Amino acid sequence: MVEVLEAIVNGVLVGGVYAIISVGLTLVYGIMDIVNFAQADFLMLGMFAAYLCAQFLGLDPILSSILVFPVIFLFGALVQRGLVQRVQSAPIVSQIFLTVGLSLVLQSLMQMIFGANFRSVTTPYQTQAISVGPLNLSVPYVLAFLASAVMALALWLFLERTDLGRCMRATAQNRVAATLVGIDPSKMYVVAFGIGTALAGMAGAVILPYAYVFPTVGHQYALIMFTVVVLGGLGNVLGALVGGLLVGVIHSVSAVFLPTQLQNLVVFIIFILTLTFKPTGLVGRRAA
Amino acid sequence: MRIASIAQSTQRPSLRGLLAVAVLLLLPPLVLENNGYLLRVATLTLMYAGLGGAWNLLGGFAHQISLGHAAFFGLGAYTSTILLRDLGLSPWIGMIVAAAVAGLASFIIGIPTFRLRGHYYALGTLAFAEVLRILFLYFRSFTGGAIGLSVPYMGDSFWYFQFYGNRPYYFIALAMLALTMYITHRVSTGPLGYRLRALRNSHEAAEVVGVDTTRAKLQANFLSAVLTGAYGTFYAQYHFFIDPDTVFGLMTFSVKMALIAILGGLGNVWGPLVGAAILVPLDEWTNAAFTGGLAGASRFIYGSLLIVLILWQPRGLLYWADRSLERLRERRAAAVGEGVR
Repeated sequence: MVEVLEAIVNGVLVGGVYAIISVGLTLVYGIMDIVNFAQADFLMLGMFAAYLCAQFLGLDPILSSILVFPVIFLFGALVQRGLVQRVQSAPIVSQIFLTVGLSLVLQSLMQMIFGANFRSVTTPYQTQAISVGPLNLSVPYVLAFLASAVMALALWLFLERTDLGRCMRATAQNRVAATLVGIDPSKMYVVAFGIGTALAGMAGAVILPYAYVFPTVGHQYALIMFTVVVLGGLGNVLGALVGGLLVGVIHSVSAVFLPTQLQNLVVFIIFILTLTFKPTGLVGRRAA
Repeated sequence: MRIASIAQSTQRPSLRGLLAVAVLLLLPPLVLENNGYLLRVATLTLMYAGLGGAWNLLGGFAHQISLGHAAFFGLGAYTSTILLRDLGLSPWIGMIVAAAVAGLASFIIGIPTFRLRGHYYALGTLAFAEVLRILFLYFRSFTGGAIGLSVPYMGDSFWYFQFYGNRPYYFIALAMLALTMYITHRVSTGPLGYRLRALRNSHEAAEVVGVDTTRAKLQANFLSAVLTGAYGTFYAQYHFFIDPDTVFGLMTFSVKMALIAILGGLGNVWGPLVGAAILVPLDEWTNAAFTGGLAGASRFIYGSLLIVLILWQPRGLLYWADRSLERLRERRAAAVGEGVR
């Protein structure tokens, strides 16, 4: 029983991170109608950025995530302007394969620079745990969750309370109407893509204390991300946050009952079932 | 009128053109060394051209982007190999069973995913291939797991689909490619092709004019899966080794098949041949040229090629060549006209 409880709590902790890496995917889809197949590679870039900060500046990954955000934001915005914008109104084939190509380029570029080795950083709290009643919670997981919660809150404040955020929500709801009231959609595309990728990058930084970084680390997260966003409804920000926690818990609890190798299988089966029976997501209408 | 002429020139090559291609394709095994590397690359080129053609049936004509065709390929490879290992069954029969298994899988995957459109469909197919990859990795006693499966060695035997040199494999691949291209040609010019092209632009519009879109997609996917499964068997027999990460892989097969079709030209019968003729030798060369620290270079070239192609010529090289020829002809005609005046 304690084992299951612990798995649920750990699932929530990891799920918070899943929520943040996936929310960018859903934000971009909500506003641009494009699924960014390279989203997980921006997570990888964020991990490498935080790794370099730790290696050369001695910065803690959780702290350096604040630096990672603007860096990945700029890079993401550049990618949007230079590449993704060009397929904005192209057939879906072009949209899919442009980001698939981007994913390949980012992975191989990092492999050529850093090699395929697994790298990690050491932090003083790496092996520490907090005891809460009968549960032992690993400090890096708790910190990553807290950082994710802060990011989620910041995103929510941005979307609800700022003019830019309101403009973005308006664009997501109805692009034509938003244009009519004077919102420039192409500006929204850049901001959405920048924020979406930067959130993934930032999440990459906060998981570095407990995760290895290597050029193809994105593979581990890509299908989890897709499951999260489909579960929450593609384009639905709140849905992605809820979906993230849900997938985290499912992932973690299934490891208690099933061999580790089949842990992902449960997630994929949920993914397929959601696609089959409720492709608009469990959370309901688009609320981005 | 112009569109019609383009369609004709790419979809229905003249008899002369067909003969020229046939002679060209019969040449490599005659001039290249039987045990040589070059003939191997040529054989792989034919195999990938066929895979691109199989993918084209649904992805090209109907623009239903499958990112999970490795599912059919892997099933095909494992079916014949396990039948050979456990029952000593000839891979020729194994290939037929493999095609049947893949065809069956096309319905199991197609029925839930064909309700999905666009990006959702791509995600759904991707997930199915991943599920199979995980299952084949997990059930080790049956599939060999991550270690992979070696095809039992039976000596140089036609019955067991195993040969010493590359030449027999080349001719088998050529025959399979011819069949694939014949099927894609028949689909392209037949009623199914028209239905698929109709639903490409809009499912709703196609339904309105009486096209059963799900049925059309299932039919195309079935043909595509059967061919892909048969190629899985060919691959296993040619490589003598298969493992889940490769044969069910996203980048190794699912994306590569699509890229080959896109490179030549989506929905173009001859496109995959052009795509494979460029991509496979390039792939082999980069893999050989960049090793160690530059091991990522081949994927880098791959990805860049994909991006450049999508931005520069999303309709593929054959379309581009056609347009360029057309423009050249027009310019020449204009020049002649001016001379007369």
